[in-house]
Amino acid sequence: MRIKTILLFWLSAAFLQTPANAQGLLKKVKDKVNQAVNAAGATPASTPSSTNSGNSNRNTGNTTGEGLVITPPDVNENLTSAETAFKSGNYSEARYSVQQAMLGVELQIGHQVLKSMPASISGLKADTTQDKVASVSWGWQGLTIQRTYGTDAKRLNIGIANNAVLLQAVNLYFTNGGYAESSNQQQNWKQTKVKGNRAVIEFDKSTGYKLSVPLGQTSLLVYEGINFATEQEMMTAANQLDIDQIKKLLGEK
Amino acid sequence: MKKLFLLSIISLLTSAVFSQEFAKQVTTARSAYAAGKLDDSRFAMQQMLQEIDMVIGKEVLKILPTKMEDQMASTAKDQVMATSGFIGTSIHREYGTGDKMISLDLITNSPLIGTFNAILSVPFIANTGDQKVIKIDGYKAVVQKVGSNTDKPDYEVQLPLHNNLITFKAPGYTQDQVIKMANTIPATQIAKMLQ
Repeated sequence: MRIKTILLFWLSAAFLQTPANAQGLLKKVKDKVNQAVNAAGATPASTPSSTNSGNSNRNTGNTTGEGLVITPPDVNENLTSAETAFKSGNYSEARYSVQQAMLGVELQIGHQVLKSMPASISGLKADTTQDKVASVSWGWQGLTIQRTYGTDAKRLNIGIANNAVLLQAVNLYFTNGGYAESSNQQQNWKQTKVKGNRAVIEFDKSTGYKLSVPLGQTSLLVYEGINFATEQEMMTAANQLDIDQIKKLLGEK
Repeated sequence: MKKLFLLSIISLLTSAVFSQEFAKQVTTARSAYAAGKLDDSRFAMQQMLQEIDMVIGKEVLKILPTKMEDQMASTAKDQVMATSGFIGTSIHREYGTGDKMISLDLITNSPLIGTFNAILSVPFIANTGDQKVIKIDGYKAVVQKVGSNTDKPDYEVQLPLHNNLITFKAPGYTQDQVIKMANTIPATQIAKMLQ
C-alpha cells in the first residue's frame, strides 16, 4: 500500500513537471472523443453545418484580436489587500493577495535578469522575442527565466530556475564533491567551473552541449549550446554572462 | 470553565503575536520594494505566507470535532507546522490515547496533492479490494485497509481538498465506524478556509 502511495505521488509529480506531456495526453483524449463521435455518425467537428445558420460560424478559426493586455500584479495594491484581509480574518484572501504581490515582484526580478544579459554572446544575437519569465510565486517550481541567442543554425539557450524548493536537492547533488563522474572512452559528463561557480557540462550528439550551474541555495542556471563546435567554444560563451549580477538580482550568495 | 478561559486567553495572545509579525513583514516588504530591493521584498512576503499558513492552521484546528466516537480530542497535542512551498503546512490533531488513538493530519497547499483528485477519478486505481471511493461532505475520498492484520484490518481515509490532503487514521475501528467518524470532519468549511 505504501509503495502504491509513493507511486501515486511520483505520478502526480510527473504530471506537474511535464505540462507539455499533460497537454499531449489531453490532445489524445480529445482526438479519441472526436473519433468516437464521428464513428457514431455525428457531424465531424471540422465540417461546418450548412442547414443551421445560427451555428454556421461555430468552427471558424480566429483571425483577429490584440490578445491580452500585459498586467503584472500591482505589488503595493496587493500588499494593502493582504493587510486588510488579514486584519478582517479573511485569511485565504490574504494568502491570495500575498501570492499576487509575490508574483508581481518575481516577474520584475525576471525582467531585470533578462535586462542584465548581454545583447549578443559569441557573435550570436539575443532573440528577445523568445524571452520568457514565468512564476508560480511560491514553492515547487518558483521563478523561471529564459533567453535565446542565435538562430536555428547555431543557438544558445539560457534558462534560469530560481526559488524552487526542489533545487535545494539539485544543488546538494552538484556541489557535493563525492559525486564523481565515471570515465570511459567517450566521456559525456564532467564537472567544471564557470566564473568560479561549480558546474556540470554534458554532451549529447543529438542535443549538443548542456552546462548546468547551481547558483547559491535555490537557483540553477542552464546553458544549452546547439551546434557549438567544441567544449571550449561553449565555455567561452558561458563565461560571457554576468553570473554575479544574476545572483545578486536573485538574492543568491 | 477556568481551563476554557485560559485557553481563550492563550488563543487571543497567539493571534495578537501573529498579527504583529504579519504587520511587521508587510512593512518590510513595502519598504524593500520601494527601495528596489526586490529579493528582500519577496523574502518578507514568503514570511507573510508562513504567518498566514500558521494562522489558518490554528483556525482549522478550532473547527475540527472535539470528539470522535468515544475519544476526546487531545488539544494539548495539536500541531501546526508551516513549511515553505513543496510540502505546505501540516496540521495534526489526535483523539484519545493508546492502541485506539485516532489521528487527523492535514497537509495544505502542497502542489503535489492537486493531482490526487485526478487519480481518484481513475477507476482501476481508486477501487480495488483494499480501497474504495467514498464521499465526505460532498468531496470524494478514499477509505483503505492498512496494516498486516487480515482478520481485523485497520482503516484510514484520505480526503483531498484541492491542494490539501486530509489523512484520517482510526486503528481498531471498523470500516463503517471510520467512515462515520470521517463524515464529522467539516470538509466544506476547511476547504473554504484553505482555498
